[in-house]
Amino acid sequence: MRISGGALLVAIAFTVPIVVELRTILAWFGVQISVFEGLVLGLALIAALLVYAFWPEADDSPDASSSS
Amino acid sequence: MSEAAVKSTDATTEDEGGIYLDQFPAEAKVIRSALYSSFLALALGGLFGIIQTLHRTDIYRFIDSETYYTVLTAHGVFLVITFTIFFLVGVFTWAVTTSLDRPVEDIRFTWLWYGLMSLGTVMAGGAILAGFTDATDISADVLFTFYAPMQAHPLFYAGLVIFVVGTWLAGADWFRSWWNWKQENPGERIPLPTFMVLTTMIMWYIATLGVATAILVFLLPWSLGLIDSVNPTLTRTLFWFFGHPVVYFWLMPAYMMWYVLLPKVSGGKLFSDPLARVVFVLFLLLSTPVGIHHQYLDPGISEGFKFIAMTNTMFLLLPSLLTAFTVVASMEHGARQRGGSGRLAWLKALPWRDPVFAGMALAGIMFAAGGFSGMINAGMNINYLVHNTLWVPGHFHLTVGTAVALTLMAATYWFMPQLTGRDLWNRSVALVQVVLWFVGMTFMTNAMHRAGLLGMPRRTAEPQYEGFEFQAGVGSVAELDAQIAIGGALLAISIVLFLTNVVLTAVAGKRSDLPDNSYADTLSGPEDSPLVLDNLKLWTAIALVLVVFAYSLPLLSIVERGGLFGPDVTAFPQHIQFVASMAVSVVGDSLATIDPVSSLAQFADTTIATLTGVIR
Repeated sequence: MRISGGALLVAIAFTVPIVVELRTILAWFGVQISVFEGLVLGLALIAALLVYAFWPEADDSPDASSSS
Repeated sequence: MSEAAVKSTDATTEDEGGIYLDQFPAEAKVIRSALYSSFLALALGGLFGIIQTLHRTDIYRFIDSETYYTVLTAHGVFLVITFTIFFLVGVFTWAVTTSLDRPVEDIRFTWLWYGLMSLGTVMAGGAILAGFTDATDISADVLFTFYAPMQAHPLFYAGLVIFVVGTWLAGADWFRSWWNWKQENPGERIPLPTFMVLTTMIMWYIATLGVATAILVFLLPWSLGLIDSVNPTLTRTLFWFFGHPVVYFWLMPAYMMWYVLLPKVSGGKLFSDPLARVVFVLFLLLSTPVGIHHQYLDPGISEGFKFIAMTNTMFLLLPSLLTAFTVVASMEHGARQRGGSGRLAWLKALPWRDPVFAGMALAGIMFAAGGFSGMINAGMNINYLVHNTLWVPGHFHLTVGTAVALTLMAATYWFMPQLTGRDLWNRSVALVQVVLWFVGMTFMTNAMHRAGLLGMPRRTAEPQYEGFEFQAGVGSVAELDAQIAIGGALLAISIVLFLTNVVLTAVAGKRSDLPDNSYADTLSGPEDSPLVLDNLKLWTAIALVLVVFAYSLPLLSIVERGGLFGPDVTAFPQHIQFVASMAVSVVGDSLATIDPVSSLAQFADTTIATLTGVIR
């Protein structure tokens, strides 16, 4: 994992304010979305976070470069 | 001298003397009792909080709307007075004994002030809870802001007085410890935690002069029938003389945790001891002469005095901003000690898995948001837009409801093992609990702020009026209500998790090797801070002068205009059902035929005569 489980939990918690206010922010730009669409966007945000957290880190060690 | 001072502080912070329970067993017992009292208040306050939330949002109602005000009073008083202040006295006792490395002078005296605070809580809390039953005439549905013309039972006021006297004696206990330490360690700098305790208590002594005067001279005699009336503007002003600095009395233990514990659990050191001292001195100087900013919309106080209060309030932002800088710098130092690097990537190296750290860090972030809404409250012209709307509860649920409450809960996860000798029952549950609080408060306060901007009122069981609809800019009012209810439910679950963890730690926590009792060392220590910062007499004198400047003329003006005991304002006990039935009986049949000019005087006469007759 790229970040610890605790950090991931906190990062997901941080998406809540974004999800909650997403509709207001988008409305400023004239984009109207429903609660459901807001939820879907929020879930997509969390999914992206999970993908980032669990994506294997690139191995930059000398062994890795020599073997390739 | 400064070397000795540094040695003294370092000896305390790096002393490997075991956990607190081993170092100070007698004091640990008092602190445990104070914390358990605090948690009992949290349980009660939280219970009333969720009832209030569900009722107000009309999601689920099982109480009468008039009972809502009893619930509201209990929620406010149990959480912002009992929960916070019992925790404070526990933490401050820990801070003084740990940093001075000496026990209290007389443990019987320590138990005395704890006993007085408990007695006061039972009396005031009992008076509030008695409002739920018709078996007695006792009630105190006066909200947390207990000024005239609302009147509580004398038991409520007497309980508050005894509670406050208990805190005064607690302060005397800590000053006594410091004084005796000072005699034995002449010329040494006051250790930072003790310095924080002493400055906070000086602020508290000054601030409580207002509420003590309001209760002892006016409200208690009035509720006992010894005087016929009070001057409402005067009691309101005296309340807010205390009512704003009490906010800092809640906040100071949280600040202390951010300064002395958070850097330690981050893995680093406090960035600057002198800056921390400056912050606490600024709070001592600036927190009292600002209370009139709660009265921008009150008649009877001139605009000029309000403007002065606003200016003072804006200065008060400075110590909070200094704190934000110092605490974040300390966390960054900790993260880099743990191998963190990069401009922002160091954030990943922080111990987010640790509920003590995660809780305090999240609390600090929410406090930043609360600071911004606080600036809006502080501005005279913008305040007019949000005054007495739901915006204001949104603001203080970010500050006291999160910055303070979440910090205290997170700190509990450090204190419980120190005080019981048992490891925390479940760290994962603790982490989920603090995160859940953050999420719940996000939902609730966000919706409260937005509802306030729509003009939705606070302090009412019935925020929606018939024939009138609030228009939300984005979404709907129903969505805001749903957000508040979801937030309240998450907070209630969070409290249950917290209390479960505390109880199971106390009874079933495993006995294992625990970290020694200590607090954060400093990157820049007391040797770097000017000696004048430790001159408590000087800061007390300046604080008093500022209070005199800010309050003497407004108070004089209020008394000149309304009289010391008011312009014959009749007592108005808060029996809501009685008021409602009176309104119906007096107004009910006459509304249709009312003549706006002649009937108004007749209506006023009838109402006053009937009210007076029933009250007597």
